Amino acid sequence: MQGVTVWLPPALRGRAGNRKSTMVEAGTVREVIEALEQAYPGLDFNIRYETGELRRYVNIFLDGENVRYLQELDTPVPPGATVHILHSVAGGQI
Amino acid sequence: MSNASFSPGTYVLLAGTKRGLFIFTSPDRENWTNQGQTLKGTRVFNAALDTRGEPRMYATDNGAFFGNFLRYSDDFGETWQEPEQGIQFPEDSGRKLENLWVIEPGRPSEPETVYAGVDPASLWVSHDRGQTWEMNQDLENHPSRDRWNPGNGGLCLHSIVLDHSNDDRMWIGISAVGCMRTDDGGKTWKHANKNTRAGFQPDIYPEFGQCIHRVVQHPTEPDVLYQQNHCGVYKTANGGDDWEDIQTNLPSEFGFPIALDRNNPETLFTIVEDGYPRQNFSPGFTVYRTKDAGGHWDDLRDGLPQGEGVALGVLRHGMCSDESDPCGVYVGTNTGQIFASTDAGDNWSMIADYLPSVFSVRVTQL
Repeated sequence: MQGVTVWLPPALRGRAGNRKSTMVEAGTVREVIEALEQAYPGLDFNIRYETGELRRYVNIFLDGENVRYLQELDTPVPPGATVHILHSVAGGQI
Repeated sequence: MSNASFSPGTYVLLAGTKRGLFIFTSPDRENWTNQGQTLKGTRVFNAALDTRGEPRMYATDNGAFFGNFLRYSDDFGETWQEPEQGIQFPEDSGRKLENLWVIEPGRPSEPETVYAGVDPASLWVSHDRGQTWEMNQDLENHPSRDRWNPGNGGLCLHSIVLDHSNDDRMWIGISAVGCMRTDDGGKTWKHANKNTRAGFQPDIYPEFGQCIHRVVQHPTEPDVLYQQNHCGVYKTANGGDDWEDIQTNLPSEFGFPIALDRNNPETLFTIVEDGYPRQNFSPGFTVYRTKDAGGHWDDLRDGLPQGEGVALGVLRHGMCSDESDPCGVYVGTNTGQIFASTDAGDNWSMIADYLPSVFSVRVTQL
């Protein structure tokens, strides 16, 4: 299986050994998160609530597309894809 | 920075803010040093320095984007650790951790135990100094729970009072549920709101649904507690079986914090506000003090900002007192100042300014 490149936001890099990006093997966005948790314990809770839902202000882009407008966590991830994990803008509200 | 940097007797003031935790120290309560900002960027609702063994600092890190974490530090905020098993609801509970509200080190008789309160309302306990946490299931399964309603700040368990005379008794405050008490170490819980008002409901004296804001216990008479509520200031003489209104001459029923002078425990401090703008009454900021457990309240203004342009507020954990005599009182504002008094409120000075909005202050003497 060809790896998936995952880019992490600055706030989460500390948990991943200060890496900006990492490679995982996964077939869906959910599996990307599970692979990240396996490699960097605790990262899942940064990304998802206890219920398994994506956090309100966390966005995951698959090859430039926000997965909220695809199949969310069930979105298939093709080999060689690039995933960006980012937080929303929140100017002044938070 | 190491704990060893500070001499015994040093006062340590932790200020949780909208943008991290600030640590202040003083050898004499007159001269304060800002030791710096840690947990930058996160909303620190509450922090505590536990001195029951090797000092350990706890903070509630409510991140804006990436979750909520209770953290602890053994080097005075230089580095922070996460618990091995943190505060997270079981996946099948359907609950999401919204905010961590309060951290409370346990009694001297339980030196490894720490308590925490969160939104959605639940009580968590650690028996290994914060390494692993478990939820109090009996509160979670309380038969009235499906009728609990959140306030504007959420359904938050924000206050934990551990009875200093009885290891099995404890009070908690939940908004907007009210005061609850356990007499059996957390196995069962009952509402303790009789005669406290819920003026925002058709029935203003319900069994529960009150918006308690803060509760403190008398240091030598364990059945006596005081609370500042959304709708009044109250005293109980029977552990919360019922309460009496001690608002007396205060200009408002609405306020968030309450604190007491441990060496003169009929002396209480509160800050009531103009209810809707949630700010001080004009013209100026006032702390209110009673020396007779609410029989009469005095306005304290010396050294506090005065004038028509003064408009600030203080949240539920935004005031605390130390254990010295005369009592030190500390107030953190939503406009980023910390005011302190070393004479039980007679005179005040500003010991910090230009902070982010202050959520909490807590002082500990090493």
